[in-house]
Amino acid sequence: MNTGSNEPKSRYQKYLGLVIGPLEDKRRYRQYKARTEQLPASYHTAIDALQRYMHYFGPGDSDSLLAMLDDLVDLFEQSAANGTPLREVVGEDPVEFAEAFLRNYPKGSWISRERNRLSNTIDRATGDKP
Amino acid sequence: MGKQMTEMLKGTLEGIVLAILSGRSAYGYEITAWLRDQGFSDIAEGTIYALLVRIEQRGLVDVEKVPSEKGPPRKVFSLNAQGREYLEEFWRTWSFLTERLEQLREGDK
Repeated sequence: MNTGSNEPKSRYQKYLGLVIGPLEDKRRYRQYKARTEQLPASYHTAIDALQRYMHYFGPGDSDSLLAMLDDLVDLFEQSAANGTPLREVVGEDPVEFAEAFLRNYPKGSWISRERNRLSNTIDRATGDKP
Repeated sequence: MGKQMTEMLKGTLEGIVLAILSGRSAYGYEITAWLRDQGFSDIAEGTIYALLVRIEQRGLVDVEKVPSEKGPPRKVFSLNAQGREYLEEFWRTWSFLTERLEQLREGDK
């Protein structure tokens, strides 16, 4: 394999990723926003509030974040179509729902970095890991 | 549904959902409706949904998208071989737990 000839291509792809990546992300985000605007008013309010909460505690990389938002709006569209009352969608404690939901998207969130840091530090302190 | 029930359900809901799916495939709303019928009245649809996303990510279920008359296509979940294995482990753990708890209660008398 001639790695030399691959280098310019990979650099080109990197460049493309830098330029097109964010554009594609923006397009996905706008698509998500458009879907939330189609929801019944109370659902729309709820999903905006959940999104706000999840921006604080959610994934740090845009891919996971967008995947999470897509999954979230899937749920709300489905529930709206079934006529499920909003309270039955998010439960008595919406924070609990938000946390259960967030645990599926640990990638890149500052809280999971800090959790790992804590575990690793204790591992080193106890001598369980070098 | 009391606080105690909510707390106990947290640890067992995954096993419960896998057990439901071992009988037949189902979509999220059906699972929630069934649980509510069985007296788990406070279970949020979103909680079940989050759980289904998780067991899908972990490869315990197969997922098929089925068109629906109203609204977006539905995801139908069915238990696969890995999910069955996981469910067996869940039942073993459950048996261990209930036996020990029963011993504790007997010891009380």
